[in-house]
Amino acid sequence: MTQIELDNLTRHYPRQPVPAIRDITLTVQPGELLALLGPSGSGKSTILKLIAGIERPDRGDIRFDGQSIRGIPANRRGATLMFQKAYLFPFLNVADNIAFGLKVKGARRNTIRAEVARMLNLVELPGIERKYPHQLSGGEQQRVALARALVTRPRVLMLDEPLSSLDTSVRHTLQEAIRRIQRETGVTALLVTHDLSEAVAMSDRTVLLLDGTVAACAAPRTLFQRPPSRAVARFVGVSTFLEGHLERDRLCTHLGPFAVNPATEATRPAIFAIRPEHLRLCAAPDINAVPGVVADLLYKGEFTEYQVAVNGGIVRVRDYQPQRSYAGGDPVHVQFPPEHLFEVE
Amino acid sequence: MQHISRITFHASRITLYVLLLAPIAVFLLHAFSVRWFYPQVVPTEWTVEPFLRQLGTPRTRMALVSSLQIGLLTSGLALLVGYPAARTLGLREFPGKGLAFLLVFLPTVMPPVAIGIGLNILFLRLGLTGTVLGVTLVHLVPVLPYVVFTLASVFARYDPNFEHQARVLGASPAQIFFGVTLPLILPGMLVATLFAFLVSWSQYLLTLLIGGGQVITLPILLFSTVSGGNPTTISVLSLLFVAPPILFILLTARYLTSEAGGYEVTVRG
Repeated sequence: MTQIELDNLTRHYPRQPVPAIRDITLTVQPGELLALLGPSGSGKSTILKLIAGIERPDRGDIRFDGQSIRGIPANRRGATLMFQKAYLFPFLNVADNIAFGLKVKGARRNTIRAEVARMLNLVELPGIERKYPHQLSGGEQQRVALARALVTRPRVLMLDEPLSSLDTSVRHTLQEAIRRIQRETGVTALLVTHDLSEAVAMSDRTVLLLDGTVAACAAPRTLFQRPPSRAVARFVGVSTFLEGHLERDRLCTHLGPFAVNPATEATRPAIFAIRPEHLRLCAAPDINAVPGVVADLLYKGEFTEYQVAVNGGIVRVRDYQPQRSYAGGDPVHVQFPPEHLFEVE
Repeated sequence: MQHISRITFHASRITLYVLLLAPIAVFLLHAFSVRWFYPQVVPTEWTVEPFLRQLGTPRTRMALVSSLQIGLLTSGLALLVGYPAARTLGLREFPGKGLAFLLVFLPTVMPPVAIGIGLNILFLRLGLTGTVLGVTLVHLVPVLPYVVFTLASVFARYDPNFEHQARVLGASPAQIFFGVTLPLILPGMLVATLFAFLVSWSQYLLTLLIGGGQVITLPILLFSTVSGGNPTTISVLSLLFVAPPILFILLTARYLTSEAGGYEVTVRG
């Protein structure tokens, strides 16, 4: 198992106004699956290309187990990359595709045959050695690509949005399969995705990249429930922010005072946020509640999404257990439970 | 509507065949006939004797050999020089790319006499006139544009991530080229080779100017025979001249159509 350290990694593409990534410093623990989450253009794929050795960093260092790999060519780093497309070689059958990494190293024929069979069992596609890539479905192609990436027993496995072109159901089974195989083999893995739920479902820790820098790095639950900054909170689906003045356990805003946890001694300006599913709608006035009018609602099956117009803005509420449903124009009260209000930068 | 267009399609197809095959048919009639007098429409007696006699002549044999030799050498060199140029033009975006394309295209619109005479002076100094190497080099001038354009269009649809994938799986640059790149672009390479060979094979003027009568290729021999005026000899030599290209096309036909040999290489996102 290999530890990966990124040390002030910077990559600036020629003729681009801003660097793709800027001073990225990260440590991936041995055997960990770290997700790099971010919108397109946030530089997440660039990091993988730098670790793989397809591109060179302008500044900074990459270390595997404490040793710099900057001088090592891509084909000898032991860091394999899986792309969004499977990139199976169309002129080779499945067995030869999987065997590719072993053949270029000059492995013995018997070893190759045994390893190919072992990998096909691991990805749950036994017996398809003689098929050609065009005879496989998209999900099967990605499974073969995973087998091909793992057959060389790499130190690091990198996945560049490997599931984003697949159907939802296939994607979910493959997410589980990849997670299981990664745990079984113990390979240190980096997953690039723009899909929050994928990052949350698959990773041990998630790094959120915004504009080429690390905006947050935390366990998925923490990132989801307690995002540290406003930008991160927005990315993980928080849209309600309360700006005001914090006085002990009371946040004074233009909507009125709110009780918050925990209490602080100092009096200072602060911003608190709350996830849309933590807000509650009630017909009668309540503690920590503000009056409003239902401006719009959208029934989404598992939940109903309300847009409630309150003094000076719109509050988005996700109602998973509707005690009663409201119609457009109904007067309601939006309650902010203190235990779910958290402070952001 | 569809019916009419089908008739038009078949009519134009047959016209095309007739136009292409009629000269060859005339050559065949002349080359393999013994007696062919008025009022017979086709000859009465057939023979392969003039054909074999012509093949047995040292002059013909040597012309055939040097044509093949120069054609193959030119194709090989053209691929070697054209590959990096085509790869860059097809895959990369850079300032002045249009100009680069124009410069590659230029030899096809330049009159061969101008190129030939200009290079003749240079090649005389270098001692390349009258040599197979000199003729091969001058053939590269009209051949290279075809090779570069064919391969550039292949690389415009090529996804270099296949190579990146191979590289991170541990393949060295040579293993990537022979194990991944070459198989992926094989159909395009064959088309480029075919073009290169055919353009070299049919060169007359440039061979004459640089070869200076010492390098006798098939076209040179054919032209001197035409002035002799023997229809049988002319026909036999003409058939020898058109045979290799036709054979070459027949053998590679399945790679020339995209369905048969071409791999699906999708455009980058």
